[in-house]
Amino acid sequence: MNPSRRFTCEEAFRRLDDFLDRELSPTELGLIRDHLEICEACAREFTFEESIIRNVRTRLRNVQVPPELAARVSQLAALVLRDGESG
Amino acid sequence: MLLLTAREFDLELAAIVPTAYGVALRLTRNRADAEDLVQEAALHACRGRAGFEAGSNFKAWFFRILTTTFWGTHRRAGRRPSTIDFDDAPALQLYQRAAEAGLPREGDNPTAALIDRMGTERVAQALEALPEDFGVVCTLYFMEDFAYHEIADILGVPVGTVRSRLHRGRKMLQKALWQIASDAGIVAETIGEMTC
Repeated sequence: MNPSRRFTCEEAFRRLDDFLDRELSPTELGLIRDHLEICEACAREFTFEESIIRNVRTRLRNVQVPPELAARVSQLAALVLRDGESG
Repeated sequence: MLLLTAREFDLELAAIVPTAYGVALRLTRNRADAEDLVQEAALHACRGRAGFEAGSNFKAWFFRILTTTFWGTHRRAGRRPSTIDFDDAPALQLYQRAAEAGLPREGDNPTAALIDRMGTERVAQALEALPEDFGVVCTLYFMEDFAYHEIADILGVPVGTVRSRLHRGRKMLQKALWQIASDAGIVAETIGEMTC
């Protein structure tokens, strides 16, 4: 890698989603981080996008699991697995 | 192939029920259907226990069964058509819309306040508005911390397909969130709260 290589805003923006999802190579990750340190506008956009994902996740994961469901699955599994062991 | 004992398998299954129900609820949009889906998937998993190798990724294996079961039996024949036009869903929509509407974009608070005010049901409604192929990928992504390759494995599609559906799906989701928040008067409420 060329040590003087820097990402432009466009190159950084193209990798926004992969960066937020930790799907970049270590080299690309480093280049993005370097860019975000010197580019306030991109840093603001990246932070904004990250906060949307985090807040949507928090909301969607707010699920009340029926308390009896685990017991029903366990009973079902016991029946099938027992049959499997004895058969 | 090394198999789990019945006891070990039962423990793995019990541990996954809460997360499986969460994903099932977002896929089926209905509590009773979600419970049925989890139980059917558990039944298939138990019957197919010999197909799971001890030490491999149980969660990905189980979610493959769950999504296959969903496609097979729970997928709605008459899916509600979305009223949102997703043809035009550019990047950074909430960022741009927030600016146009006068919401501050600095820090975490503006989106947090907007999404918090929307509540779980409306955010789930935005996810439900996505076209199905995008919705399933986004559901797995938002409900669980799956990597792209795990989602690809679960759905039996290439990683590139997951990447493109997820990137596009997130843009669609932002559009849906903004429209639902606007229609419900939540954008105006949030602006009022943050500017007074």
